Amino acid sequence: MNAVETHLIGSENARDIIIEQAHCTFRLGSGREVKALRDINLTIPAGQFVCLVGGSGHGKSTLLRSLAGLNPLTGGQIRVGTHSITRPSPEMGMVFQEDTVFPWMKVQANVEFGLRAKKLPAQKCAQIAKGWLEVVGLGDCRDAWPKELSGGMRKRVAIATAFALGADIFLMDEPFGALDYVTRLGLQRLLLDLWQQTQKTIVFVTHDIEEALILADRIVVLKQGSVVDDLPIRLTRPRTEEVRASSEALTITKTIMSHLGLDEVNQPSKPSAVSPLNLLR
Amino acid sequence: MMHPLKSIQSYLIRHRISLATLLTLIVLWQMVAYVSPKDPASGTFLVPPWESIFGSALKGLSDYWKINFLAPVPSTGGEQTYLGAFLAVVYHSALSIMRLVLGLVLGAIAGVVLGLLISLSSTLKRLIAFPLHLLRMCPLLAMVPLFQFWFGTELIGSIIFIAYGVGVIYLVGTLNAVANVPRRYVEYAATLGVSKFVTYSRVILPAILPELFSSVFITLGLAWTAVIGAEYVGVENGLGRMIIWAEFFSQTDRMALITLFILLFASISFIISRKVSAYVLRWMPTQYDYNN
Repeated sequence: MNAVETHLIGSENARDIIIEQAHCTFRLGSGREVKALRDINLTIPAGQFVCLVGGSGHGKSTLLRSLAGLNPLTGGQIRVGTHSITRPSPEMGMVFQEDTVFPWMKVQANVEFGLRAKKLPAQKCAQIAKGWLEVVGLGDCRDAWPKELSGGMRKRVAIATAFALGADIFLMDEPFGALDYVTRLGLQRLLLDLWQQTQKTIVFVTHDIEEALILADRIVVLKQGSVVDDLPIRLTRPRTEEVRASSEALTITKTIMSHLGLDEVNQPSKPSAVSPLNLLR
Repeated sequence: MMHPLKSIQSYLIRHRISLATLLTLIVLWQMVAYVSPKDPASGTFLVPPWESIFGSALKGLSDYWKINFLAPVPSTGGEQTYLGAFLAVVYHSALSIMRLVLGLVLGAIAGVVLGLLISLSSTLKRLIAFPLHLLRMCPLLAMVPLFQFWFGTELIGSIIFIAYGVGVIYLVGTLNAVANVPRRYVEYAATLGVSKFVTYSRVILPAILPELFSSVFITLGLAWTAVIGAEYVGVENGLGRMIIWAEFFSQTDRMALITLFILLFASISFIISRKVSAYVLRWMPTQYDYNN
């Protein structure tokens, strides 16, 4: 029995994330109400790698920000074990899509910043930060300013900072979205290595189905603020090209694409009533 | 390390256009001085030639040396000396620069601290918006007499006046800069479990520094105006007051010379600010970074 199945069968744990009837309604400046989350119910067992997949504006990031305590719910609740999540805390390591590495602190100081808040002695902070920078492959860049690093290297700093805090749960909001393909593959591999070695829970938002197939134990598909599918991914690891080209993987991809309304992409397109050529005349 | 002569040579070559412009201006001034009429009442040049500015005017500045120490005091019958002129310039410059620096530092600290405190509350921000707008609109020099009436014409009065002028700019600059701090930095700090105080001191404060340094350059010019203005109106010493004394006797050459001193000090203060800014903001990505 592999790790995935243990988690699926495993009973409720103090580190499980439980989302119960979560609702979130925003009021826009124009007074229009937007239901960003509608009745979300999910249990994420400790140690699972979950990908939240969906189109833009369908609630992935809202759900993740709610998990991080950055976005209060208007109904329902989110718990970790029995502890209710209402505000941000270092118990949840967060990696954002945008660059959050502080440009005014050197790389090592960035990693130490969160540790200092935990009131650890300075020497201990430095030691932990140094260790994590080695792990993410930036041992030589401790003394560099973030502007001297590439975008992918700065993401490594963000990952080191999150892991250095020793959280049990990591929340990642399209962290590799802005990176080029090769850099993204390298970071996916790094993240999988860290996950497999540390056995932490990772909730990972992505709009990229292939990325989700490489990473996830489970893919939750969101549409218009609701969970429309919850797919266990039992593909063998590592998720090589061959594994991702298997019929099982293909079925998953097709299922997700149909949920996202993308199944028409593979059909020949129907001519529209107005031809673009008419508009150009 | 380049040979010093070589580096002077390369400096001259790099700045040849600016140097040529400067030289042209100097020559033009001299030409205008020779054709300009003299003031009928006092017989002095309306536009003083350079030999007058760096000759009799320079030595004449010893008139403003009033302490009977090291050099004779012309106002009590002593003779004019270059040493006296030097001492007078040092004495009055030191007073002006001290007012400038103290006013700038006090104003900057008060403006930034107040700005950070006000930015904590959106109600407070809305309350202060209109009065702050009025204060910004009010010409600074219009307030000199009032400030001198309230706080006197001694050191304290002029420092408070400069600090006020500078502080208003820093306050507005800080409020704007804090509003422009990317939300993600503050949220990220929150997820790291950092306290509000540390968020302000280690995240918001450094994040607003680039914008604050634009206030530094604005206020430097403003502070020089405020110092000279305060000395014109009431303060009984300093570079501005020296110009007023010279004006009293229509000594255009002295007025030009003192203005040159002010120009020199103002330029030095700008160069220092630029160097400090470049050091403090050395972490800041330029357009050449972050393209990867």
